[in-house]
Parts: sequence; structure tokens; C-alpha cells
Amino acid sequence: MIERIVFYSLSAVTLLAALGVVTLRNTVHSSLLLGLSLAGAAGLFASLGADFLFAAQIMVYVSGIAVLIMFSVMLLGRASDLHLRQVNEQWMAALLICAVSSAGLLKIARAYSETLPAAAAAPQTRTLGLLFMGDWLLAFELVSLVLTAALLGAVFFSRSEASR
Amino acid sequence: MTLSHYLIVAALLFLIGVFGALTRRNIIGILMSIELMFNAANINLVAFERFLHPAGSAGSALALFIMTVAAAEVVVGLALLMAIYRNTDTAYVEHFNLLKG
Repeated sequence: MIERIVFYSLSAVTLLAALGVVTLRNTVHSSLLLGLSLAGAAGLFASLGADFLFAAQIMVYVSGIAVLIMFSVMLLGRASDLHLRQVNEQWMAALLICAVSSAGLLKIARAYSETLPAAAAAPQTRTLGLLFMGDWLLAFELVSLVLTAALLGAVFFSRSEASR
Repeated sequence: MTLSHYLIVAALLFLIGVFGALTRRNIIGILMSIELMFNAANINLVAFERFLHPAGSAGSALALFIMTVAAAEVVVGLALLMAIYRNTDTAYVEHFNLLKG
């Protein structure tokens, strides 16, 4: 019973906040709701027993990416944006695309309607660490290379033209 | 809670993200919608790991990689965005025609 309440409330928070992200006119509001939606997704990770991922989601997404997006919203915005339409004229076609693909996705989801969890959730941090330092070492190092490249790229692109 | 509950939530989150990426005019709105799609994929990975492969933790590891790449993508995307904004003085994608010649 309590599992059900947790799941439905977390999904409602995630999906309603996501709807707000894509429909609200004020970009500051939608960036705040993005943080809420990502926190709801973190709660869903916790309800799935992925403890390390829950912590990583809170640290990377909610307190990293959402805050970064909020900063750039405040740097880029103008007061006149609040009176402008934020949705282009193709929204009907986009809705149609979403409806068509939802049919396929829900059909796939229905195939697993009998699947229950096989075992109780166990702490994951140790197995994840062993995986990263063992079988997936190359991928782990490549990701750190990607992060370094992103850091350098961000510094390069955000310099002004004159100092280049 | 069966696997299909989680799959349906992730599918709806993904579709909301697709809708946002197709319809938002503001470039930051498009970036936020892409983040929603990444999260839907992560929920799917973790749900499949929990329900179908409880022994390993490859799903969580892949989700962590996705998270890292998403962070890198957002950092570079926002830096590019600031550079474009300095040149064109707008944040709306239909005005981004710098490459048109």
C-alpha cells in the first residue's frame, strides 16, 4: 500500500512538473519546475532501490544542471519575453507525433504488466565501484576525458571574441 | 508495482520531453526538454535492472554514464548559447541563422 502511494505521488510530481517545464511561458518558472521534476525522478530511483543513483541524481542534476540552467535563464532573459508566445506554430504536429509514439511505447509497457521484482533491493555502491574499476575501466576513463573536454570547451566558447 | 508502471511513467516523461523539444521557441526550453528525455531513459534503465537483472548493476552504471555525458552536454551547450546570444542578441531558435551566408 505505502509503496503504491509513494510511486503514484512521485510520478505525479515528476510528470506534472515536466508538463510545466514544456508549457509555461515564463522560463524562470519552467527552470524551477525542471529542478522539481528531476527531484521527482530521483525519488523514483530511490523507490527502485538505486541508492547511489539517487544521490548522484540529486547532486548532479538537481543541484548542478538545474542551477546552471537557472543561471543562464537569468543571464539571457528579457522582460519582454514574458509577453511573447513561447511555443511555435507546429505544436499540433508535435502533439500528433507524441500521440502516435505513445501508442507504441504503451504497447511495449503493457507486455511487462505481470513482471514483479525478483529480489529485494540491495545497496549498490560497492558493486558499482567494482564495475567501474574492473570491467568498465576504459569507459570510466573515457568519461573523465569527455568531462575534461567539456570543461575546456566551455571555457573556450564563453571567452569573448576580443580576447581570442 | 510492476515493471509496466515504471515504463509508462518513463514513456510519458519522454513524450513530454519530445513535445517540448519540438515546440519550444526558446533555446533554453529545448535544452530543458532534452534533460527530461535523458531522465526518462535513466528511469527505464534502472527499472529494467531492478525487475529483470537484479544480480548486476550494469543499468545503474549506464545511467551514471548518461548523467555524466548530460552534464557535459549542458555545460558546452550553455557556453555555446552564451556565445550565440552575444552575436545575435536573441534566444529564439528561429532567429539562429548565422550559417545561412
